[in-house]
Order: sequence, then structure tokens, then C-alpha cells
Amino acid sequence: MAVITVKNLSKNFNVKLKEKGLKGSLKSLIKPKYKTIKAVKNISFEVEKGEMIAFIGPNGAGKSTSIKMMTGILFPDKGEIDILGLDPKKDRKRLAYEIGCVFGQKEQLWTHLTPYDNFKFFGAIYDIPEFQVEKKIKELTELFELGDFITTPVRNLSLGQRIRCEIVASLIHEPKILFLDEPTIGLDPVVKENIRVLIKRMNKEYKTTVVLTSHDVSDIEKLCKRVIIVNNGQIVLDDSMENLKYHYLNKKIVEAKMKEQVNLEDEDGITILKDKGYNLKVEVDTKKRSVADALKILNPDNIVDINITNVPLEEIISDIYKAGDKE
Amino acid sequence: MRKYLYIFKTEVMTNLQYAFDILIGFVSYCIMIFIFLNLWHYIYSDPKELINGYNMNQMIWYVIITEILWMSLGGRKLCKKICEDVRSGNIAYNINKPYNYVEYSLSNHLGLVTVRFILVGILGMVLGLVFLHSTPIQSIFQVIAVIVSCFLATVINILLITSLGLISFFIEDANPFYWIYSKMILVIGTLFPIEFFPQVLQPIIKYSPIYVVSYGPAKLFVDFSLDSFIGIIIAQIIYLIIGFSVCHLIYNKGVRKLNVNGG
Amino acid sequence: MLTEVKNQFKVAFTSIKYALQREMLNKVTFITNILFMILNNSCFIVQWIILYSLKENVGGYTLKEVLLLWGLAASTFGASRFFFKDAFNLTEVINDGKLDVYLIQPKNVLISCITSSVDVSAIGDMAYGYIMLFIYGISIKNFLLFTFFTICGALTITAVSIIFSSLTFWFGKIDIVANTINSLMTSFATYPDGIFKGVIKVLFYTIIPIGFINYLPVKIISDFNICYLLMVIFVAILFITIAFVVFYKGLKKYSSSNLMNVSV
Repeated sequence: MAVITVKNLSKNFNVKLKEKGLKGSLKSLIKPKYKTIKAVKNISFEVEKGEMIAFIGPNGAGKSTSIKMMTGILFPDKGEIDILGLDPKKDRKRLAYEIGCVFGQKEQLWTHLTPYDNFKFFGAIYDIPEFQVEKKIKELTELFELGDFITTPVRNLSLGQRIRCEIVASLIHEPKILFLDEPTIGLDPVVKENIRVLIKRMNKEYKTTVVLTSHDVSDIEKLCKRVIIVNNGQIVLDDSMENLKYHYLNKKIVEAKMKEQVNLEDEDGITILKDKGYNLKVEVDTKKRSVADALKILNPDNIVDINITNVPLEEIISDIYKAGDKE
Repeated sequence: MRKYLYIFKTEVMTNLQYAFDILIGFVSYCIMIFIFLNLWHYIYSDPKELINGYNMNQMIWYVIITEILWMSLGGRKLCKKICEDVRSGNIAYNINKPYNYVEYSLSNHLGLVTVRFILVGILGMVLGLVFLHSTPIQSIFQVIAVIVSCFLATVINILLITSLGLISFFIEDANPFYWIYSKMILVIGTLFPIEFFPQVLQPIIKYSPIYVVSYGPAKLFVDFSLDSFIGIIIAQIIYLIIGFSVCHLIYNKGVRKLNVNGG
Repeated sequence: MLTEVKNQFKVAFTSIKYALQREMLNKVTFITNILFMILNNSCFIVQWIILYSLKENVGGYTLKEVLLLWGLAASTFGASRFFFKDAFNLTEVINDGKLDVYLIQPKNVLISCITSSVDVSAIGDMAYGYIMLFIYGISIKNFLLFTFFTICGALTITAVSIIFSSLTFWFGKIDIVANTINSLMTSFATYPDGIFKGVIKVLFYTIIPIGFINYLPVKIISDFNICYLLMVIFVAILFITIAFVVFYKGLKKYSSSNLMNVSV
């Protein structure tokens, strides 16, 4: 049962064009010229209940705009959105009771209050009866391990603790869908991992559908089974994480330190990435040649040190971004 | 000396861009003048009538001039800037430069003031002519006298406010002092000439900065006489000297304190 | 329906309470701001003492009545800025995209927005208003009327600010209009209407409704008139309704907007 259905979604923006200098400013005041930017071009996708999807793309790709349309902040120019049977444009308030949002860069909590007081406040915003709020706070405090600092004012918390509280605040009203926009931005790796574990736990426990936007590839890799990549307003990829990795797992990178200089040439299936005499880096397309072949060319006796890795997911994704740019 | 002129010119250019800000100032100015136009029209049952030696037109011109001086001054901004400079330690950097902080700050702020003075001045003159149909100006000499007096008044004002700001060397927040000073000028100096105040208080006001910073130039504009001109200019020169001295005194004391504490 | 309204009020009130708490963190600054504002307002008594030394009746008001006028101007100004601070920089809120966070909550966007912060020095203005009432002459009737008019006036002032700030939805950075209207209301409100002649008086009963916020109420306090009272209430309700309508029309435009600067 799809909880989010987006069909042929489109939105354009008009940007004022201003020429240089004083004359330009005057011109733009009297007779403004506009350039149309197609922020979102005909996007369609569906999300099932309980899915955790990554909704990613380079800056300016149209993802924030799409999310704003899904949450009712902006109205689409064309297309339909159906979230839990509601149209964000017409039922904004009703929808607000069912969704939660966490913006990594915008704080929603009152900083001089404790997380506990904040949670009570959010409970009031969503019209949740007292006893239910209390119960929920207890539950989530345990789940997100907030026990130690739930009575410390938010401004005295570390960034990681704050984000955890922000996420809990957005869950008080038991939303069916949670939009997380850059939730781990600015956090150190240990804390990031901790938050990922908690989000996964929450998703398992409550079957909350999660739409995650992040520039951190490990977030996406570790949390989401499905990836939608947006670039230039269009969906460039909508596939499972497994498939994404699989299609690119055929490439291996071999880095070797040699005893003697080797003269290498590009061969079919083997691309030289770096050749600095003693240090080599080649990319092997395992669909065409095996790694063993590549090693033979290098001559195992000549090898002092060697490293064989997959193409990092980061590179895979940025290649996809770049491919989307060409269109 | 030339460097101060340069600093002054640069500030003028920078501030031409704050046209929008000035527009808002225009609106408040117009509102003020409009209110006083109505107020004095009401109080004077006959425009020719003299109250405390002034007729209706003179009273309104008086407010026009004092408000031009006050609005173009930007005193609050100046005080804030000085306090910030002291608090942030910026002032320490100025010790290394081949100019004097007080004079630098003066030339800098004069740049801002000049632009506003010209603009608000024109606005004031236009409003006055449109609603009063005449000015109390009788000669070119009077015009020059008024401009000179305005200039001196502004410089004194800037110096006094600067010295108030420099108090931040010794006290955490010097803004209350500025507030008291500005309220004094506003309530006692801007709305009524000294003659409207109780006889007992008049001499005190005459010796206070209000006389040279607000009353003086406005009086010369609405009721010029050679005697009053000489009296006001002398008072202004005295205050100019006092202003410079106090500024430098506080600055030097403050800087010494900075050096002692390591800044 | 009724519980919805009750809940809305509860959240708005809690929001103001928390905003106030946030300002009270530094007790010294808090008290100083209030005292300063009271002092600030008192300075202008000098002006009126001098004017009344020239004439016993200025613009149809005695000295005591003018002080009451000042007091009411201060208390309505203070109440509006205290409870609804963000209604007075609504242009900035709209242009910086700060409305988005309220759009994803199930509460009324306008109310959530304007109750999110308080202006502490405005407490001084409100206190000053009551001090002036005390000087005028305090009685239960006066106190109740004064409080009632403070509330009505504050709501009307806030509504006017919202109406003109909402123009931002259509015209972008246009805060100068709202700022001008707010300045006009604040400045004129402290002067007796009798000194003004002509067209301007029409404005006092239309777009700069200080006639209903300040002048009529003072007349009612010194000489009770049920008709005037009903007019004041009616005008307040009228302006509040217009404010909501204009704001929500603008909000709709904001969401359907295709203008880049409105959403990033």
C-alpha cells in the first residue's frame, strides 16, 4: 500500500534577471526580465509503508523543492501528490498531523527549555492528550537513549544530543512519514553512526516511512534500501541500493607500489588512472578482464605493496550526478 | 590633514548606497514636522502673535532646523560603533596606524552625516517653504553663518558622543550615558527654544551642550542678529576645544589602561 | 470546533510564555530594559508641561487627559509589541522563508508565527500606560475600561501591521510601507486629535485607525458612551478579520509562488 504517490510533478521558478551596474538595476526595476528555471520536471515515484528511501541529488537538483511540495509548503505547477490519501495542497493541516520533519540546519526546539519541556510543547501543538504524551516521551527517551540529558536545557547539549532530541520531537505525534533533511550534518563519525542505529531501530519498531536527504553517503548506504537520485529536476535513478552497488561492483581499483618501473599501456578492460613510475593505479573492468589478469601484467614479483578496492559509493553517485548533468 | 579628508570622502561614497535607510529617516522626519505644524498652528490663534518672542513660523522653522541636525547626526549608530571598537579591541589596531583615532572617527562619521544633512536639509527646506511660504532668511551672510554654526554644532555633537562611547574603556556598557544625553538634547533642545523654559532653568541650559549643539544654529536661522551670532560662535568654539580635549583625555587614559591589561 | 479553538489558544499562550522565559534568562538586562522604557516615555511629560503652560486646553484635552492619551498610546503599543512581536517584522519572516517551519505544523500559521517571540521593553510601555492611568485618576471603572481598550487597541494595531506587512507576499521587500504606517500610528497617537485639521482626520478613522484605538477610548473613559464603545469593538473585529483574510490570501500565493527569492 503506497503511502506516498507522486505523479508527473513539476514546478518552475522565475528568477529576476539583473544586468550589471546602475543602468541594469534601474532597468530591472521598471521592466523586469525573468528567466524560467525548471526546478522539478515531471517526477513520478511511489513509496511503500515502512520503506526507508534516500532522496538525494546535488545542490539545486530539485530535491528540497520536491520535499516542500510533499509537505505542503509549496504547491506544484503540474502533477499530483497523494500522501496517505491526502493532497498536501488541500489538506495541509490534516497532513501535518501525520508527518514529521527534521531539518538538520534549522532548529525547531526552544533552546532555553529542556528536551522534556519541548516534547510537552510539541505534544500540545499536535493536540495529544497529556497521558499519551507522557507515555510517548518515556518510550522515545528509552529508544533514543535520552535519559541522561532530558532535563538539561537544549542549549547546553552537544550537537549530536540536540539532533536526537529534534528527531524525538518530530516523533511525539507518531507520524506515519518522517522527512529527514540532512539530519547528520556537522556530526562526527561516531555520533553519526549512533544516530543511524537509532533511526533504524525506530523504523523497525514503528514501521515509520522515512524519506532521507543527505550528502553523507554512509548515511544512505547504511540506512536506505532504496535510492532515488534527482538531478536537474528529473529522476536519474530509482533503484534499490543493492542494484546500485552491483552495477558498479564490476569495477575494481588496483593500487600497486613496484620495485622496478613498469611500462603500462591501456588495454581493453584495464584503464590506467595514475602512473608515476613506481606507483600505479589502474581500474579493472571485471566484466572484461579479471583481477588476476591485471596482476599478471604487473608481474607479482615486481610488486612491493598492493591495494585492491571497490569504487567507493561516493564516486558512483557523483558519476551519476555528472551523467545527469550532460542531459 | 589630507588623510582625514580622504577618509571623509570615502565614507560619503559608501553611504550614498544606504539610500533606502535614509528614506525611512525621511518618513519619520516628515511625520515630526507635520505634527509640529499642526501643533503650533493650533496654539497660535494668530500667526503674528509672539510667544516668548517667537511667532508661529519661527517656532516651526526652529523644529525643522533642530530636527535636521538631530536626524543627520546618527548619534546612536556612532555611539554603538565606538563602544564596539573599544569592546572588541579594534581600537588597539588603530594605535599602530599613523593617525589619531579620535580624528579618524570624526572624519569617518562626518562622511555619513554630510550626506544625510544635505538630503534631510533639502527635505526640511522644501517642507518649510511649502507650508510656511517664507523663510526667516534675510541675507547671504545669515545663510553662511547658519551653515558654519551647523557644522560646528555637528562636530561638537560627534565629539561629545565619542567621549561618551569611549567611557566603555572603564564601564561595561556606556549606552545608558548616550541615552541620557540624547534624551536631554531631544526633549530640551529640539522642541522648544530656551526661552520657553522656566526662567530659573534658562541659564543652566545656556551653559549646557544644548545651547551649542541644537539651540544655536536654529536660533541663528529663525532670529538672526550679529550679537547672537558672535555669542553662539564663541560658545561653540569653547565647546569645540572642550570636546576635543575630553575625547583625547579619555582616549589616552583608556589606551593606557588597555596596555596595562594587555588589551 | 470549540476544542480546536481552545487548543489553538493553549498553544499560542504557551508559545508566548516560553518566549518570555527565554528573555528572562538575564534578569538584570530584563529589568533594565523595562525601567528604561518607562523613563524614556516619562521624558516627554516635559513637553506637555511646557505646552500646557501656554494654554489650558490643547486640542480639546486637558493636561490630565493628554497624559491619559499618552498612557493609552503606550499601553496599546506595548501590548501589541509584547504579545505579537513578529507581527512587526513580518516582512523579514516571510522573505527569509521562516514561515516554512509553521507550515508543516497543524496549527494556524499566522498565530504560530506572531506568538513566537516577545519584546521585553514593551513591558515598560505597558507599565507606563498604567502609571499614566494612575495619574489621571484610578477607579475600578477606569481600570477596566483602560484594560479593555488596551486589549482592543493592541489587537487592532497588530492587525494593521499584519495587513500591510502581508503585501510582501505580492511585492517582495516592501517593509517600508508597513514601517511607515506603524510609525504614523505610534507618532500621531500621542497628540490630541484636536490639533489636526482636515483630511488627516479622515485617515484616523480609516487606514490609520488611531481614532478607534486612542481618541475614542479616551473620550469614553472621561465620558462614557455606549455607542462609541461598540464602534471600538466592531472596528477591532473588522481589522482582525481583514488581517486574517489578507494574510491567508498571501500565504496561498506564497505556496503557489514561482518567485525564486521566496523559496530556497
